[in-house]
Amino acid sequence: MVVYNFKKIQTVPTSTEFVDVVLSRTQRKTPTVVHKGYAITRIRAFYMRKVKYTQSTFHEKLTQILDDFPRLEELHPFYADLINVLYDRDHYKLALGQLAKARSLVDGIAKDYLKLLKYGDSLYRCKQLKRAALGRMCTLMKRHTSSLQYLEQVRQHMGRLPSIDPATRTLLVAGFPNVGKSSFMNKVTRADVDVQPYAFTTKSLFVGHMDYKYLRWQVIDTPGILDHSLEERNTIEMQSITALAHLRAAVLFFIDPSEQCGYALHQQIELLRGMAPLFQNKPLIVVLNKTDLQWEEELSDEHRQALAALGPSVDQAVSSGNVESIDVDALLEMSQSKPDDQPAHVVMKMSSLSEQGIAQVRSVACDLLLRQRVDAKLRGKRMSGALNRLHVAQPAARDARRRPPVIPSSVQRKLDDLDKAAMATAAGTSDDEQENGDPDVTMDEDTPIRGEAKNPSLGRKLERDRMWELGGPGVFASDWRREYRDLQRAEWAYDIIPEIVDGHNIADFVDPDIEQKLLDLEREEEARVAAEEEVMEEEDEDGPVLTAEQLERVRAIREKRAVLRQESWMEKTKNRPSVPASRLGKRTRVEEHLEAHLNEMGMHEEDAQDVAEGIADKMPLRKAAKRRRLVEVEETETQMIERKEALDAAARKAGFANANQKAFAKKVAARKQAKIHARTRQHGDGDRHIPNLRPRHLFSGKRGMGKTQRR
Amino acid sequence: MPQGDYIDEHRKKYGRRFDYEEKERKKEARSVRVVASKAHSLTGIKAKLYNKQRFKEKAIMKKKINMHQQRNKKNKDADASADKDVKKGAVPGYLLDREEVTRSKVLSNTVKQKRKEKAGKWDVPLPKVRAVAEDEMFKVMKSGKRKNKEWKRVVTKATFVGDNFTRKPPKYERFIRPMGLRVKKANVTHPELQTTFCLDILGVKKNPQGQTYTQLGVITKGTVIEVNVSDLGLVTNSGKVVWSKYAQVMNNVENDGCVNARLLV
Repeated sequence: MVVYNFKKIQTVPTSTEFVDVVLSRTQRKTPTVVHKGYAITRIRAFYMRKVKYTQSTFHEKLTQILDDFPRLEELHPFYADLINVLYDRDHYKLALGQLAKARSLVDGIAKDYLKLLKYGDSLYRCKQLKRAALGRMCTLMKRHTSSLQYLEQVRQHMGRLPSIDPATRTLLVAGFPNVGKSSFMNKVTRADVDVQPYAFTTKSLFVGHMDYKYLRWQVIDTPGILDHSLEERNTIEMQSITALAHLRAAVLFFIDPSEQCGYALHQQIELLRGMAPLFQNKPLIVVLNKTDLQWEEELSDEHRQALAALGPSVDQAVSSGNVESIDVDALLEMSQSKPDDQPAHVVMKMSSLSEQGIAQVRSVACDLLLRQRVDAKLRGKRMSGALNRLHVAQPAARDARRRPPVIPSSVQRKLDDLDKAAMATAAGTSDDEQENGDPDVTMDEDTPIRGEAKNPSLGRKLERDRMWELGGPGVFASDWRREYRDLQRAEWAYDIIPEIVDGHNIADFVDPDIEQKLLDLEREEEARVAAEEEVMEEEDEDGPVLTAEQLERVRAIREKRAVLRQESWMEKTKNRPSVPASRLGKRTRVEEHLEAHLNEMGMHEEDAQDVAEGIADKMPLRKAAKRRRLVEVEETETQMIERKEALDAAARKAGFANANQKAFAKKVAARKQAKIHARTRQHGDGDRHIPNLRPRHLFSGKRGMGKTQRR
Repeated sequence: MPQGDYIDEHRKKYGRRFDYEEKERKKEARSVRVVASKAHSLTGIKAKLYNKQRFKEKAIMKKKINMHQQRNKKNKDADASADKDVKKGAVPGYLLDREEVTRSKVLSNTVKQKRKEKAGKWDVPLPKVRAVAEDEMFKVMKSGKRKNKEWKRVVTKATFVGDNFTRKPPKYERFIRPMGLRVKKANVTHPELQTTFCLDILGVKKNPQGQTYTQLGVITKGTVIEVNVSDLGLVTNSGKVVWSKYAQVMNNVENDGCVNARLLV
């Protein structure tokens, strides 16, 4: 459960980013086109909207930042202090205060310039005023570069703070550096804290969770604390102090009597005394760690006395391993009976390496804290208020006679039988199982879920009972062979069935009349084939019959086709560079072939040549012939004059002076048209082809600029 | 390493992926292409901004390259640089006993000083201003029940109106100075200190557009205003505290929404 979610804080942009975002948003979200000719009110409105919009965007963004960052006054004192230690409370407040001030200044600027814009009498003046307004707002933001930068860093760090719930059940691990705090943490939780053999491996608070007595516990590993005054403490140590001061937790103070941590025992005990004010009203367990190093034997007298002064270790009381039997009251009494210069505490021994005493330390700490929390709750007003309203009503006794419930004797007998049966099965199972049995199962004893021999209520064994007998759901596989009822003898059900016997697959012989079925199938197939053939024959008789001549032609066509295919294949497969026919000045293959073919068909030799050339030049056939005719037939003078006159007459009819003018006009028109065609990419006047009805650039993507028709 | 730094933690435990360096190198090498394609494909205002930024980067880069090249050049021909190191004012031995230079300098300085004093009174930072036509300065306000009278004028420029100004009866008020366009403060730059102060305006000394405007207190570009400098603690030669000084307005107040002036010292 996250109590304070610092991850939710949105990114704080740098000042340049801030300005870019705001200005481009204004550009995107407000109209962009205005003209000098517009009514002045419209022009004013256009620019006023821009100023107002920019201001509101600035306001919105700054408010977002101010709202996101937590106010120290509203935070739990633990977090407030932690933020003070990590980020310096003054700096934090100053940065936020500056942004708040900037926000109000931006609002003021906008107000001033809107007022001035009302007096704007030209587009130029309005535009200048808008420019000045936006410029001043942006300059203002530029001045807060460092604040924004600082807040962004704080945000990134805060997002990664461990999510500590200050109100929940908590064990707090404290002590000198390198005394085994993190190792203990790793043993009791899954936090996976880094453990290294040097001091200050843990530089910040680490949180882990564990379960004890079906409750969720929070364990906090703190950085090591050195024994000096509060003013001299650095940021790392101050985090531990903050946690100790503000969290209502059971404190596990670790001491390393072997002095392998590099600090003397008396220093460590001195620290314990010095920190006494922080331990008030909290269960304190002094843990003598690293027993695996056998410091107990090697202790000097001085150290022995110092340890003895702390009080006797309670390990013996709880070392029996039975966690349930810890006498919390005795422990409390023990912890209270300390000399005045020492905080109330319990002393325990432990070794994280050999895992000795870890469970005891944990359970003692948890029990003490739980007792304290329950006491505090009971003492609180809320609890007493609730208890006052509770009343358990019981009917007043009429007389002294006892009235036990009446159970019929037959039912009683049956119940007794059941009890006996249950006893018998319970004796069969091991003690462990009984202890660790699922609480759910033990709770509803009269349901038939337990592994008894027979279901008592139905008198027969159910599949469900068998399931519980044979390992429960997931393990149990139902026995299908028990259901083989058609066998001559019941004991055959569990016979082994081989797959192959005497070289035959027995699956082939499962069906007794398979031969008969096969025969039937074959017969059916024969009948179908016969029927089909009959139909085919009938069709053949009806279809067209080719004469010998036609057949000959078909054969010729096929032959020709084969030859052509062969030729084209030969042509294609020549694997060498070749000079194109046009370069060689030779006639193309098409021409040659066509000419030969036309000759063969009985065409005049020259005509055939013309046609072939015409086709090869992609010229219409008629035109080629005409050209030939023009060349061949020499026109006489008179014929020419006649022709010209006729043409002129036709031109005059169409409104031209003569044929030349008409030709010229035609030429000009064609040239003009060609230009249009070139521009519109048409092939000619008749070309109405639209290459792509829905061109991609017009129909896809966002419409940033332009409109549907043109972009 | 705090607990929440799971990325760092993972990196510490398992290292980076095996081709990390290669990927980074490729990404770096590819970045120019990415930038180029972006520059190519952007349109509109975004393109404008982006190209401007690119232009700046390139200019800086070019400068840097030039500097490096120059440095290299210097190192190459150290002899040439030795020539440039000659101190200013160094003279060959045969000219050493002449004092002409210093004397001439003194002379020219005194001449300059005199000229300055002569011109002093009207030597302002902005000697010339654009003439403002009357119809630009004033807007006609129609009055009367039928709105057919056109003898009233509204000033369209920023004005300074003193604290003790009382309006004439509106019926007879010819010139109206709108509340929204009145200014009281000016950002005054001290040319020697190179600092700017926001000072109270005490009055309009002279509007270059004409006497009428001076009387009306219109502030346009080039107007000389009187500002309150008592807070600056300026002292005259005789030791008196200076209360006010003149300053010339350097901007178009009606377009910028603020008065930027330069102190006349």
